[in-house]
Amino acid sequence: MSDKKKNSYNKSDNSIVRRTLSLMIVCGIVAFIVLIYRLYVLQIADHEKYEKMAVQNQTKTTVVSASRGTIYDRNMDVLASSASVCNVFLDPQLIHQNEEDVNTIALALSSILDVNADKIREMAADTSQRYKVVSRKIDQQKADEVREFMSLNNIEGVGVEPDLKRYYPNSTLAAQVVGFMGEDSGLSGLEYYYNDYLEGTAGKIITAKSNTGASMLFKYEKYYDASNGESLVLTIDATVQNYLEKWMNEAIEQYDVQNGAFGIVMEAKTGAVVAMATLGGFDPNNYNQVYDQMLASELAAIPDSEARNEATMNALMKQWRNRAVSDGYEPGSTFKTITLAAALEEGAVNLNTTYNCTGETTIKGRDADDPLHCWKAVGHGLIDTPQALQGSCNIAFATIGIRLGAEKFYEYVRAFGLLDKTNIDLPGEGSGIFFDYDTLDDPNSYASLTSAAFGQTFKITPIQLVTAISSVVNGGYLMQPYVVSQVLDDEGNVVEETVPTAVRQVISEETSATMCTILESVVEEGTASGAKVVGYRIGGKTGTSEKIDEFDENGELVEDKIVSFVGIAPMEDPEYVVLVALDTPSTETGLYISGGQMAAPTVRKVLDDILPYLGVEAHYTEEELQNVDTVVPYMNGLTEEEASKILTEKGFEYTTVGDGTTVTDQIPAASSTVPRSAKIILYMGEEKPVDTVTVPNLVGYTIEDVKYIMNFNTGIYLKTEGATHSSSDSSAIYSSGQSIEPGTEVDRGTVITVEFIDTTAND
Amino acid sequence: MALFKSKKNDTKVNTNVEIVEDSRGVMDAPFLVLTLLLVGIGLVMMFSASYASAYEETNNATYYFIRQLAFSVGGTFIMIVVSRIPYQLFRAVSFPVLIIALITLALVPLIGSTVNGAKRWLDLGFISFQPSEIAKAAVIFSFAAMISTRKEKIKIIDKGILPYAAILLVFCVLLLLEPHLSGTLIIFALGVIMLYLGGMSDWWIFAGIAFAFGAGKLLIQFLPYAQERIAMYKDPWMDPSDSGYQIIQSIYAISSGGLLGLGLGKSRQKYLYLPEEHNDFIFAIVCEELGFIGATLVLVLFALLIIRGYWLSLNAYDRFGSLLIAGFTTLIALQVFLNVGVVTKLLPTTGISMPFFSYGGTALLIQLAEMGVILSVSRENGAKRKVKK
Repeated sequence: MSDKKKNSYNKSDNSIVRRTLSLMIVCGIVAFIVLIYRLYVLQIADHEKYEKMAVQNQTKTTVVSASRGTIYDRNMDVLASSASVCNVFLDPQLIHQNEEDVNTIALALSSILDVNADKIREMAADTSQRYKVVSRKIDQQKADEVREFMSLNNIEGVGVEPDLKRYYPNSTLAAQVVGFMGEDSGLSGLEYYYNDYLEGTAGKIITAKSNTGASMLFKYEKYYDASNGESLVLTIDATVQNYLEKWMNEAIEQYDVQNGAFGIVMEAKTGAVVAMATLGGFDPNNYNQVYDQMLASELAAIPDSEARNEATMNALMKQWRNRAVSDGYEPGSTFKTITLAAALEEGAVNLNTTYNCTGETTIKGRDADDPLHCWKAVGHGLIDTPQALQGSCNIAFATIGIRLGAEKFYEYVRAFGLLDKTNIDLPGEGSGIFFDYDTLDDPNSYASLTSAAFGQTFKITPIQLVTAISSVVNGGYLMQPYVVSQVLDDEGNVVEETVPTAVRQVISEETSATMCTILESVVEEGTASGAKVVGYRIGGKTGTSEKIDEFDENGELVEDKIVSFVGIAPMEDPEYVVLVALDTPSTETGLYISGGQMAAPTVRKVLDDILPYLGVEAHYTEEELQNVDTVVPYMNGLTEEEASKILTEKGFEYTTVGDGTTVTDQIPAASSTVPRSAKIILYMGEEKPVDTVTVPNLVGYTIEDVKYIMNFNTGIYLKTEGATHSSSDSSAIYSSGQSIEPGTEVDRGTVITVEFIDTTAND
Repeated sequence: MALFKSKKNDTKVNTNVEIVEDSRGVMDAPFLVLTLLLVGIGLVMMFSASYASAYEETNNATYYFIRQLAFSVGGTFIMIVVSRIPYQLFRAVSFPVLIIALITLALVPLIGSTVNGAKRWLDLGFISFQPSEIAKAAVIFSFAAMISTRKEKIKIIDKGILPYAAILLVFCVLLLLEPHLSGTLIIFALGVIMLYLGGMSDWWIFAGIAFAFGAGKLLIQFLPYAQERIAMYKDPWMDPSDSGYQIIQSIYAISSGGLLGLGLGKSRQKYLYLPEEHNDFIFAIVCEELGFIGATLVLVLFALLIIRGYWLSLNAYDRFGSLLIAGFTTLIALQVFLNVGVVTKLLPTTGISMPFFSYGGTALLIQLAEMGVILSVSRENGAKRKVKK
């Protein structure tokens, strides 16, 4: 048996061996070479290509939102900051689609989030989606309520995800400057302009996920850190901004201003914007609502929804607009400052140049029946250059313009930066509308040149004007205006810092000094006496201008006026330039619509508040000292001799009532602030009268008359404000307002402030 | 080592095989070592690959591993037991195995359980298995037995080839009914190769191959799922989320491995991306975790096993033994080639498991039992040689 088998094996066909061998080669070698080659192609040759696709396929990228930077004012008060909030969404695919569950979710979310329950049901039913946002940017407390509800009821399909919300703690303050945030990026103002800085870089967590989306048992995570946004420190001072807005609002109220107002406070030497306001504004926390309540209800009353939406959109666009940089306006006489600076620099005129203003004059190129009128119909008479600015004489400035010549004039307009954008770091900067050079330089007509010289018939932006005026008073340097002084990183380190930059020197320091003197005289002796601030040397220029390009429904040019004033303080070393412009004051306030009577007092009030705040030292004249606010000391128990000593030291006069030896009571009460001129009443044993005094009407009188009236009102103390003299006639100074309404019963010792204006300051 | 040696006192158990027993030596150590190595590596890789889906499906990450481990141990035991059976006895079982295969295959369309749209499994309550696995063994056993006794008749058409062709045809038809295209292909290829080794003329071989191609083409025309697979094979990115999904995920896995792999246990694709990751597509996970180097090493181990198998076949004591070894070796080679070919998109997707690696208890038992058959044969050729010298 054994042999037989062996034989059979030996006898086996050679071909069997060959065939087995060939199988061995094919199945054991060739096949594997093919397979290994295939592996080589996939794993080595095409490795990167497929690996990339694989990783994309396997990973879940979770975006870690970077927290947005904060916007601070110059004192690190927060103007805009972000807080963590949550979004609540539904995953309809995870929701058990039965009535009970859907109802539970709809009712609970509806009560927590204040969303219509039917709307939630609708979202829950849409199983084609896995992400349906129910409510955005809810606070943590509500998010916790949602989470609690989910865990208590064992609900699936409701998600809570973190998000950030932007808060503007100061509400409307500097709203157009700060701007606002949309869903995830800044849409206007600094929020928009500096969006790249503020938003930071979102981080990523790439987590390996299994195909069901869950995280894997083995960790595979890569972190790309979110780099938080940078913060901005502004040149804006919230307090100054607040004062500016407060007094502008007051002016809007007082003068019944129809079309809002804008104002700028700039550091003259650096170009830093300390405050910038456009009123009526909006609340960036609710930027999509029309802020003006009256306007909002008017809009809501529009029956046609399309018209309503359009009107609402227009109202929104208007309230968001930062007119201080975006819109050109007619600068009017404030521009004469520029013309004069150029003319003095070029030597076209000097301080002694004289002009004869008869109220009207013919100008080459103007029709004979359309002579140039000065705003002062009777004329300024024979005046010199400072008087021309003090009186804001159009005819004098027409002459100055002609003397300077179109070429130089144009050159200076350009040099003062009025033909170019200032490139301030705010979005949407506009540019004005100015004459072509050829129009100005017309040998046959001075019409355009003369109009331009006194600031009519063209437009520049408020920021351009303030920057140019700053250069006039700061030694001649046109500064690059800016709003952001520092960029801070996440940890508060300064990353970028704005260095004040002079674009060019436009006029010499000497001319600048001369201009300062003249500008101060405009307040001291000219049309701007309403801007006078007790204790400070103020300079400035008024302006009243007609709109050149706005027409009423009949196609007639509207008679709307913009009144403005540019104030400069302190004049011994100008640090701040303040512009306030009121668009279309009402004609029915009893006041002449002019910068001198409306804008100048507004700027005075602003300066009165901000100069002490900003640490500008006050220097009082003898006359002013009489009027200086002084705190009344506590004198009960003192002898007359002791009391007299203290009061004299403070500069007060006093009288006594009664014949006791010590002071038992006093008017005004201790610690109240009264003008130094107030006469203190000391009661020596005698009972102090406890009756009240009726406030008399003090408006519409001269200072003398007011003082006279006050003599009959013992127990009320007078404080005067504003103009004390007029450019033309001291009897033209009349009281225009009083701090307490006539007829009000007040305690004895109450101080009443009466405001005076120059009623001839009609420019 | 005691396992490898036959014990003399076993001889009295069965007097019929006394003579054979006398000549038995040790089983082939390299083949055994290679087999055990592959079973070991396969087990580890199966554990790694099944980890995520086991956890997902049963909350127990070792669910599949424990079972596969049990079957590996049991399978190894069976392999050793089978290796001790004198292989001439397999002549006797070849016919019953053939009958069992036919019956179980015939039962599949009637009581088989449907998985992925095909009935391939038979669940007998205590055990479930694919009758096609038995059919493959049956073809090898019966063809080896038939050829080794009636070798001369193979070239004669009427009496020679007809029984073989009939057996193959019945099997193929039954498998196609499931449908089980890859099983059909393997059975047919196995049959043809057995006949080829049995000395069938080249003409018939070509005829067989030609027939297979023709039938294949025709089948593909009539089987919609086959057509779809061909289309997906050409461009799986046509439908990456559905029919192209599996092969794309497989390529991602393989490619991600790169040269050195992501490291054992660190596959990402096993996280429920790659379907059948511990089954038919386990080799993709091997590639991903062990890289080109590791995957090549595994393939080299298989290649060595196969080469060793054919070498054992060449040195078998008799023709029956030689054909048995060649048959089972070829079966391993076909499975590995088709499996890796499918996983690497060298071939259109079809369900073929990877020997020793893919999860599946009965399949592993059967494979190891088949290795036992090879080792059983190897005991005699090895022993003979030594005796001879």
